[in-house]
Amino acid sequence: MGILTIVTFLPLVGVAAILLLKPLKRESDVLIKQIANVTAIATFIVSLVVLFRFDKSVAGLQLVDKADWIPSWGIKYYLGVDGLSILMVLLTTFISMLAIASSWSAIETSVKQYYVFMLLLEAGMMGVFLAQDLFLFYIFWEFTLVPMYFLIGIWGGNNRVYASIKFFLYTMAGSLLMLLAILYMGITNNTFAVPDLIAGREAFANVQDWLFLGFAIAFAIKVPVFPFHSWLPDAHTEAPTAGSIILAGVLLKMGTYGFLRFNLPLFPEAAVKFAPTIAVLAIIGIIYGAIVSFAQTDVKKLVAYSSISHLGFVMLGIFALNEQGIQGAILQGVNHGLSTGALFFLVGVIYEQRHTRKMSEFGGLWKAMPVFSVLSLIVVLSSMGLPGLNGFVGEFTILLGSMGAASLGSSPWIYTAFATTGVILAAVYLLWMFQRVFMGPLDNPANMKLRDLNRRELVIMLSFLLFIFWIGIAPAGYFALMDSSVAKLVADISATIVAMP
Amino acid sequence: MPMNAFGLAPLLLVFPLIGVLFNGLVGRRFIVANRNTGEKWSGWFASVMALSAFMVSVLLFLSLRSHEYHAEVVHLFDWLAIPSAGFRVPWAFQIDTLSVTMMLVVTGVGSLIHIYAIGYMHGDPNFSRFFAYLNLFLFFMLILVSGNNYLMLFVGWEGVGLCSFLLIGFWFDKVNEKGEPMNANAARKAFVANRVGDFAMILAMALTFWSFGSLEFEPVFSHALEMFESGEMVHFGLFSASLGSVLTAVTTLFLIGATGKSAQIPLYVWLPDAMAGPTPVSALIHAATMVTSGIYLIVRSNVLFEIVRASGATIFGIVSSPDLVAYIGAATALLAGLIAFTQFDIKKVLAYSTVSQLGFMIAAAGMGAYVAAMFHLITHAFFKALLFLGSGSVIHGMEHGHHHIHAHNHGKEVHGTPQGDTHHEEDNFDPQDMRTMGGLRYRMKTTFIVYMIGALALAGIVPLAGFWSKDEILAHGSEHNLIVYILLTIAAVCTAFYMGRQLKMVFFGEPRHEAAAHAEESPAVMTVPLMILATLAVLGGGLNLPFLSQGIAETYHEHPGGVFLGLEGWLEHSIAAFELTEEGVVHLPETPKVFSPGVAGISTILAVGALVLAFYVVYANKPKTAEEPDPLQSTPIWWFSVLPLNTLYMNYIVPGFNRLAQWLADKVDWAFWHDFFHDRIIRDTFVGFAHFAANILDLKGVDGMVNGAGSLAKRLANWIRQTQTGYARNYALSIFLGTVVLLAYFIFMAN
Repeated sequence: MGILTIVTFLPLVGVAAILLLKPLKRESDVLIKQIANVTAIATFIVSLVVLFRFDKSVAGLQLVDKADWIPSWGIKYYLGVDGLSILMVLLTTFISMLAIASSWSAIETSVKQYYVFMLLLEAGMMGVFLAQDLFLFYIFWEFTLVPMYFLIGIWGGNNRVYASIKFFLYTMAGSLLMLLAILYMGITNNTFAVPDLIAGREAFANVQDWLFLGFAIAFAIKVPVFPFHSWLPDAHTEAPTAGSIILAGVLLKMGTYGFLRFNLPLFPEAAVKFAPTIAVLAIIGIIYGAIVSFAQTDVKKLVAYSSISHLGFVMLGIFALNEQGIQGAILQGVNHGLSTGALFFLVGVIYEQRHTRKMSEFGGLWKAMPVFSVLSLIVVLSSMGLPGLNGFVGEFTILLGSMGAASLGSSPWIYTAFATTGVILAAVYLLWMFQRVFMGPLDNPANMKLRDLNRRELVIMLSFLLFIFWIGIAPAGYFALMDSSVAKLVADISATIVAMP
Repeated sequence: MPMNAFGLAPLLLVFPLIGVLFNGLVGRRFIVANRNTGEKWSGWFASVMALSAFMVSVLLFLSLRSHEYHAEVVHLFDWLAIPSAGFRVPWAFQIDTLSVTMMLVVTGVGSLIHIYAIGYMHGDPNFSRFFAYLNLFLFFMLILVSGNNYLMLFVGWEGVGLCSFLLIGFWFDKVNEKGEPMNANAARKAFVANRVGDFAMILAMALTFWSFGSLEFEPVFSHALEMFESGEMVHFGLFSASLGSVLTAVTTLFLIGATGKSAQIPLYVWLPDAMAGPTPVSALIHAATMVTSGIYLIVRSNVLFEIVRASGATIFGIVSSPDLVAYIGAATALLAGLIAFTQFDIKKVLAYSTVSQLGFMIAAAGMGAYVAAMFHLITHAFFKALLFLGSGSVIHGMEHGHHHIHAHNHGKEVHGTPQGDTHHEEDNFDPQDMRTMGGLRYRMKTTFIVYMIGALALAGIVPLAGFWSKDEILAHGSEHNLIVYILLTIAAVCTAFYMGRQLKMVFFGEPRHEAAAHAEESPAVMTVPLMILATLAVLGGGLNLPFLSQGIAETYHEHPGGVFLGLEGWLEHSIAAFELTEEGVVHLPETPKVFSPGVAGISTILAVGALVLAFYVVYANKPKTAEEPDPLQSTPIWWFSVLPLNTLYMNYIVPGFNRLAQWLADKVDWAFWHDFFHDRIIRDTFVGFAHFAANILDLKGVDGMVNGAGSLAKRLANWIRQTQTGYARNYALSIFLGTVVLLAYFIFMAN
């Protein structure tokens, strides 16, 4: 059993332990919480072992775990990691760990089911990032829907049922088309293994536009790319804090990762062909998400819409189809997970105390909660892309990539110029939010006695901040992890472009 | 022994950072323990950190001297690096005469302002936070001026913007009569206006990287020069363009960046509002240092601007980018000079004056007079910091006076010192309104004398610092660009006039308010830095006297580094002295200094005339009371009190954006995408598909499997139902299981 199998299924050990408590008559909420936290921490540690055993000079898959599963259909149990996914794996275990830790006092009903779903979700997400067989990938992909659906539907806000069904329907609708595309390729090539399909992509090259779209719509809904985003404000706003953290931190990245892992290498000609269109949608998303954020009155919804804007940058980077763009996009995926995850966490902290997220209810919180406010400011600045913090590194690299993108024709600067307006708009909506919540007079009596961060919350915040600063100041090591794999992918696509008529 | 302290460069950042950590983490505890000694610890710790950074700058200066002014790069570690793309940006320091000049100004003036602030901020509840911000500002400002690449410059660029935001919003809970949080609004306005400039900076940097393969200054400049000499085009991806047009774009984008940070047309509107911050901040950030970043950027990029000038490239065939820089600067100098006429707030006059003087510097840089721009930057840092701190002293004194009456009326003893701008007044007394002042020269003698020196230096009176630096710019204008020269000369007249008006209203005549009659002089911790700055404002012109350096030029060539040759000779080592012609780069041995007795004479006569006009004619006996209107209020000059660009932004663009955002959020996003699109397209299609699958497709073949899955679903659903009832979840769960079934079905069919 390889390390990747361990890291994927380790959360299930925690699930089993929690479920075993009842027969053992030792069931208690505290114990369940402890088991869940320990499992999440252990999974994170194992993912660090994966990192140490990861050889960054290798471009292809490594630490592979492979076995025949359903041989007659060419379906394999096939896990592997490379530069495209290593950061996603670490992000998943890290964010899951913090999300589980953040739930300690926030979840008081059905504690057992809650932590079971959280751990199931973690296993599902790991599988999505590690599976190298399309069939296996699809199972993990769909599997993540179920625990998320229940997390929103049971522990969510007032409108949780509507939000959870909407979330489910949307993602499912997209996935069905992807399923058809997967089946078509698998049957044509008699294998579902991604490396084999890439090697044999000639077999379906003639219909690759359709296959590309089949995958692209599923992923675009997940990201979400404008105009497939309308499930997101509901899901984010209604989800419990930890659900939002995972949703923003990891689940959305499954979409962008899907584009990188499948759409680019399997259908390179189609990727080049659709690049300008997707870049336009990405840029609309950047601007539209930012403007709509600005008009929100609910702080959580504002953060939710800001994701559309941020993920627009990631999509633009991917379809710049060069090293800067793609590496920036992967890193920006991580950055968004950190800063938006932290923002949702911070929103959760005041929501727990005030049971409202209306910005008009707040104002002048800096006076009441100085530590909370300073840390919030740093996270807001990270989200705004202040240089020296993580967001800028990703954003700038992406914009650099799009400026030099051959995939965007002879005037890529037009795309870049429009995308860069997102930098102004981010300041507009984030500072407006910051002002309404933290600045101005502290005049609402309900806010006067708010407690500042407790020790557990402080540790969680400092964990986020560690990486917010680290990636901001010394991201070279992060780029180095993905450099070989991305370079190979880019070379592969460039060769295709050259070969194109 | 030759001095080599280049390795100490990182300490420039380390000292302020220690200060930030000290005041950010523990400073407050000292103050809570004991107000007075705690404040001393907090304030002096920050000041010592600033002074230490100043010492490092001095050591770097001496090191440069003993290395014949050769630029040194101190490499720390790689920041952004994508090896496969050949993209690498380090954290590295550029130690050359230009950056060291900026370091000396920033840390020197900065240290004085730190010390002054110990007195000014006395009693503020967030005393240590203020000093943490000041040190943080120094940290970012030093990154800005010491980086060896554009991206690091940009780190500082945005970082000082952040500090500006924090310090303008330092009293973030303050509201005006309408209950609007005006300080928080001003802070946000500054940040957003700067972000508009930053937008241009990001584009400029991206374009620079693809055109020249680097973001580090030296490689960019040398590559650009090579391309200019060889006539090479710029190619990357599928893009290609001539060098001239690419650099026109880059330099114009830099100009837009500079209009944000250095408050030029059309983005200057944030600076006057920024006066909401504590006065030491106005002096340090919004007069002496941060706002000069745009000038530093242009001077640093002088090679790129000169290539554009030589290539003859223009923006849409109208104007070349360096000329545009000069026109924007000159127009801003004049416009802001006129607006300053109509202001009553002592700090707002100085704010518009700063905008105007920055215009002089920008105009100089645009004309290629880089040394003159830097010279004016330095002298302006001296006398404008002096004026702001002086105005702080005046405000402090007025508050004292007002507090005195207040306490008197209430028959109470007052504890502690009233706080500068923090003071909340029940009777709407504004200690910054010049109409309530008058006659302060008797009550605040030291402040009066140093303020007078600052004002005369700013007005360009011989032989004070401002005369020499402003004259150098005007002399360049008279030789190279007559329109700019005329605009700047009128602006200089305005300067003398509004400073005359201010001096008269504040210090002369009779007190027009009880507070002015009882104003008190500030403590020594505030007045000593004022005296030092006043000395610099008197002697600062000596840095680049037109006659001095020529005489000792020969000595200099025999003993390089042994003689201080003035700013010209010093900056020559960073600002390439070359001329670009059609044949290529022609290196010049030395740029001759411009001094024109005619220009100097005219501007002196005009300045003195304007002062006399303000002092003895227009404001001779007016205003007598605080309520009396300004004598100019009925003249066309007062049109400038309606600030055209600010009105455009605040009355049209901002509400327009708000309406757009509201419409997009409510109508487009919610009513259309969220409700209509989801219900009609996504949900209905899905339901239709489900019916199709259930009724049309033949599921007999997989009956057994469905039954198995069904019972599993039932058990799972029962387990869930323990916590929550409702069928919505089952609906979704069945969809999920249905998918699994479909999946299996397709595979069966395929086989």
